[in-house]
Amino acid sequence: MKQSVATRMTQVKWNNYVIYYIFFGVILLFSILLFDRGFLSGSNMMNIARQTAMTSIMAVGMTFVLSTGEIDLSFGSVVALASIVAAKTLNSSHSIMLAVSCGLLVGLVIGLINGLLVAKVGIPSFLVTLGMNGIVLGLARWVSNLQSIPINNDVFTFIFGSGDLGAIPILFIWTICLTVIGHLLLKKTPYGRRVLATGGNKISAMYSGIKVPNIKISVMLLNSMMAALAGVLYSGRLHGARYTLGENDVMIVIAAVIIGGTSMNGGKGSVIGSLLGAVIMGILNNGLILMGFSVDQQMIFRGLIIIVSVALTMREKSK
Amino acid sequence: MADFAIEAKNINISFNGVQILHDVNFSVLRGQVHGLVGPNGAGKSTLVKILNGVYSKDSGTISVNNKEIEYKNPEGALKAGIAMVFQDLSLIPTMSVAQNIFLKSIPYRSGPFINDKASAHNALELLKTIGVNTEIRPTDLVSDLSVGQQQLVEIAKALASNPPILILDEPTASLTSAEIEKLFTVIQTLKAKGITIIYITHYLQDVVKICDGVTMIRDGRVQFTRPTTEITLETLVSAMTNNHNNEISWTHAAGLRDTTPLFEARHIHTRYLEDVSLSVYPGEIVGIAGLLGSGRTELLRALFGIDPILKGSLLMEGRPIVLHSSSDAIQYGITLVPENRREQGLILDYSVSENLIMPIVHRIKRFLFVDELKKNEISKKYVTQLGVKTQGIGQSVRYLSGGNQQKIVVAKCLASDSRVLLLDDPTFGVDVQAKYEIMKIIHAYAAKGNAVIMVSSEFNELVNYCSSIYIMRRGKLSEGVYDSLTEDSLLYMVQ
Repeated sequence: MKQSVATRMTQVKWNNYVIYYIFFGVILLFSILLFDRGFLSGSNMMNIARQTAMTSIMAVGMTFVLSTGEIDLSFGSVVALASIVAAKTLNSSHSIMLAVSCGLLVGLVIGLINGLLVAKVGIPSFLVTLGMNGIVLGLARWVSNLQSIPINNDVFTFIFGSGDLGAIPILFIWTICLTVIGHLLLKKTPYGRRVLATGGNKISAMYSGIKVPNIKISVMLLNSMMAALAGVLYSGRLHGARYTLGENDVMIVIAAVIIGGTSMNGGKGSVIGSLLGAVIMGILNNGLILMGFSVDQQMIFRGLIIIVSVALTMREKSK
Repeated sequence: MADFAIEAKNINISFNGVQILHDVNFSVLRGQVHGLVGPNGAGKSTLVKILNGVYSKDSGTISVNNKEIEYKNPEGALKAGIAMVFQDLSLIPTMSVAQNIFLKSIPYRSGPFINDKASAHNALELLKTIGVNTEIRPTDLVSDLSVGQQQLVEIAKALASNPPILILDEPTASLTSAEIEKLFTVIQTLKAKGITIIYITHYLQDVVKICDGVTMIRDGRVQFTRPTTEITLETLVSAMTNNHNNEISWTHAAGLRDTTPLFEARHIHTRYLEDVSLSVYPGEIVGIAGLLGSGRTELLRALFGIDPILKGSLLMEGRPIVLHSSSDAIQYGITLVPENRREQGLILDYSVSENLIMPIVHRIKRFLFVDELKKNEISKKYVTQLGVKTQGIGQSVRYLSGGNQQKIVVAKCLASDSRVLLLDDPTFGVDVQAKYEIMKIIHAYAAKGNAVIMVSSEFNELVNYCSSIYIMRRGKLSEGVYDSLTEDSLLYMVQ
């Protein structure tokens, strides 16, 4: 026993810090490679902040889901449906409050259904949300008739995505606020502790008096609500809603969370890590565009990153 | 009136119409360490699960501090002052020691947030209480700790709610002897603080060593409750084995050990075993007697090629063999009936015949496909031969009784024409009639010149069915074999 104390003292868990190395590594790499193309310019940085805001916000919710050992594949279409519902409500009622509430309601309802099916019926979350993705996407296409829905309400677009406070994009403020709240919730509150315990060992969580099904419902709900909010923000930033919104985000968000150090097996999660993961994905995207890669090539690259990052977490586990 | 910390009266419970506990009376004096012992399936675990609120009793009363109370779940038991340390560790490996200790209530907060500093500080106090603060720190990650250390964290976790009564279920099962000594010191420390402890164990000598009182349960009935000053290891042992000896005995063939051993291990070492040697001759059934956690399962794993052998050698008919994996072992004709048939031995939703032919499926194919006719023929043969009670060879094994499931596992091994059969507790959780039938099958198998190595917790079975017996104790095997032992002496020797 004595000896193992000694080994524990000297153990440096480089895995916990790997995200920071990657983060600075990527910035350094692009700063050098793309120096002459304005990578480091203030406007490009703000651009990256705007582009990664939505994925960062969704990554907060996804961190909670993966921390319990579940997954959600339906949130991409929740983004689309929430943006469409918010835009349609806004155009017919001209009430920002009502529009945002209806958009978020989409997330609430879908998250609740997902959660109940996972926790109470016992269907694997992978299957539930894969099916739900089809349902919600179909609804989004049907409701919008495959048309874009333009938004001309300046107050709405300012608050939800397009505005700048001085030099700072309002999306940046949304991101920081939600990340800080998410971080405190996961790491500092009893709720977060229960989320991690559920993912770490379901049985002992139960024996410790944690209501595991309720925790699972709550994370599915939280993730769906975050996706709905991202949908509202998309519609504000783009001055309109469309059924294609969010379709590419599922892969990026899950990759960001895993790169950020959250375990797919549950029990280990970091909201800050997820934010950095999202920013890394954003910078890569931005860098690849500046380098002149096509959308197709970017997709291939993102897919590779997911596989490599998951392979790294697996290696860490088997040690 | 005696000052009881906990007093359970006339407890009855049945599952699926089978009565498990019959009017059990169990009481523990305040501040004592009280042992709860009995053979497998006696009802010890059922009783503590009732005390702990996991099961609801059918009738009877439970009083804590001379006050009758009712509760329906573990939280209720905890409120009444009864905390339990489970046999299978229930910690969250990805969390720190302090986080685990205070997971139940998460008491230390500032505003809506957890106060990690206060948690760590109080966790340290708890670790100090049980005297292990020098080796376990509150910030250590549980997955970095040894099993013994995790057990101590479990105890600290149970103590977090300040319970007057603590139940320890087989706490030494997976500990090394140094860790067990540490645990005993901790128990003495807790006793000195006035905590009443209920201690469940198979190790009767530990009861004599650390308990103040002991209750023996057998077949769901309390045999006696006595202070340990009035008992000895011998009285415990004989009470435990009483009236088991009316079962059928087998005539042991003589002169088996005169030829070359069919299978032999010479001075093998693995991660769990130290210098183990054994041999088994054609026609022989060799028993390994040992308690849970003595290394008996690990021995079979090593012989079956699962655990790597670090030093020493295996011989088959006098020729050395090397096993890199279980498939190597099967190639040499060694098969294992694993400890847990439902998880390791069978695919529950497959049919009887699919399970039976699994190891030999490559042998009964026609061109590329499984020969269905042959499959049915073989399956029917074994189902009849072994007397498996099934609605047909197409029935899925999930719906067979435990005894019949076990027969299928054994049949799987027989069907693969193995010559050495390793059995890990083959009759665990099997009713008496099926036990007898399974042992009859195994005897017939050995009589054909094959060899059997059998591990069992039921020592009367070893004594009755095996021609030679080795004793396993904490990773080491006895040097010689015993061929005429009584159950009492066997139980005494494994302690």
